[in-house]
Amino acid sequence: MIVMIKNRGFLVIIVLLLAMSFTNSQAREQTAKQVVEAFQAKLLTVMKQGKSLGFQGRYKKLGKAIDTSHDLTKITRVVIGREWAKLNKEQQQKLVNVFTELSIAAYAYNFKEFSGESFEFDSEEETTRGGVIVHTYLQIPDDKEVKFDYMMKKKGESWRIINIIANGVSDLALKRSEYTNILKKDGFDALIIKISTKIETYAK
Amino acid sequence: MVYQNKNRILQTLSIFLALSILLLTGCASTNGSIVSVDDPYEEVNRSMFYFNEGLDDYVGEPVSSAYNFITPNFVQTGIGNFFNNLKDINVILNDLMQGKFLQAGEDTGRFLLNTSAGLGGIFDIASKIGLKKHNEDFAQTLAVWGVPKGPYLVLPIIGPATSRGIPGMVFDAAANPATYIPIPIRSLELLNMRSNAKGTLKVIKEGALDPYLFTRESFLQLRQHLITDGQSELENDLDFDFDDEEVDNKKTKFKQVADDLNTTGRLLEKMGNIFNNSSKKIDELGGRRFKSY
Repeated sequence: MIVMIKNRGFLVIIVLLLAMSFTNSQAREQTAKQVVEAFQAKLLTVMKQGKSLGFQGRYKKLGKAIDTSHDLTKITRVVIGREWAKLNKEQQQKLVNVFTELSIAAYAYNFKEFSGESFEFDSEEETTRGGVIVHTYLQIPDDKEVKFDYMMKKKGESWRIINIIANGVSDLALKRSEYTNILKKDGFDALIIKISTKIETYAK
Repeated sequence: MVYQNKNRILQTLSIFLALSILLLTGCASTNGSIVSVDDPYEEVNRSMFYFNEGLDDYVGEPVSSAYNFITPNFVQTGIGNFFNNLKDINVILNDLMQGKFLQAGEDTGRFLLNTSAGLGGIFDIASKIGLKKHNEDFAQTLAVWGVPKGPYLVLPIIGPATSRGIPGMVFDAAANPATYIPIPIRSLELLNMRSNAKGTLKVIKEGALDPYLFTRESFLQLRQHLITDGQSELENDLDFDFDDEEVDNKKTKFKQVADDLNTTGRLLEKMGNIFNNSSKKIDELGGRRFKSY
């Protein structure tokens, strides 16, 4: 009988633990909107501390934020389009690495100061292909607002940004046009050199 | 003599035409492959783009920097507002031609308010009270009427355009009162525009791997966004690439299903054999019983 009670107690603890871990994982799993808002909040914080952080400081902080909110492997793959399949595994990995570095460096370089900007959520829309588009506005004091649409796709259990469309101009489409052109005309090594030069310019 | 002159003019014209046709057709086929269907004259456009960039580096940028240095921000805003207010006349005309009557009403309200209370348009009071500025021009109207955009062109000094944009620009210039303001005052508008574009131009120069392609793609996308008033399909051309990945995933899944079916088939075959054997045994048993009877 004592064993039974002990066993029951043990069972209750296990059930409670399971329930807790379930609710925890539910809480940890952010919606597409939450992922975007967390990233925007981080961006504004870094902009506010922009000058004191310096480029390296901004790079470090934004690097983490971008890594947890963007799917940079997928973005690289889409940017390269059909050329992706022509690259070997090492080249693909190299491209993902430099592209990631470039994306973080571009953010760290361009978002270096704060002058009262804020982001405002507008709406959320499901796409036919199982994605979500989060519509937001960047409010700039004494200037026209800029529409920012974030295209989201699921990576495993979490939502990730795969494209940002500012006032109708798709970042992914711009990059795809540039990158595929350079790949076709000048080849893989030339593309890597060009990206690396840009990263160096940003870091100066 | 007059006849000879006419002939010479005709000759020069025809040579010029022939040369430009050769140049254009030549460009369409040079370089081996045409990357963008929107830009068949890429080579000419590229040289014009670099010419404009050079001109901007040597003239536009220094003059605009000097203007920035001597003109306080609030004066620049006032100048920008003044010319933008005059452009609202174009916006209203194009609203009407596109059948956007409600928007035309709002824009008329904007224009009247800014012209009167905004002291001739120097202050943009309408925006402060929530009457947003719309962006309409005759090139957009032509698009709404179904005129195709035609090839992408880089014009000297003016910059990016499509062939549909050229009549658009002519009409808008004719309908804009600013066109009839003496040139020295009008040049303020250009200076102001260049000064406002400073940030964008810096981003392109610093960020683009290929500034020509960056400018072309963003120009074409932005125009499409304006024509459709932001309603253009957001995704679209990128689906294709997701397809690639999805097809890969589906292929893997199909392979798994096929493997599973194979295994199931083999199992069924085995079961069939077992049943066969069993029925044989049953038959044998039955046969023996018959015999025993």
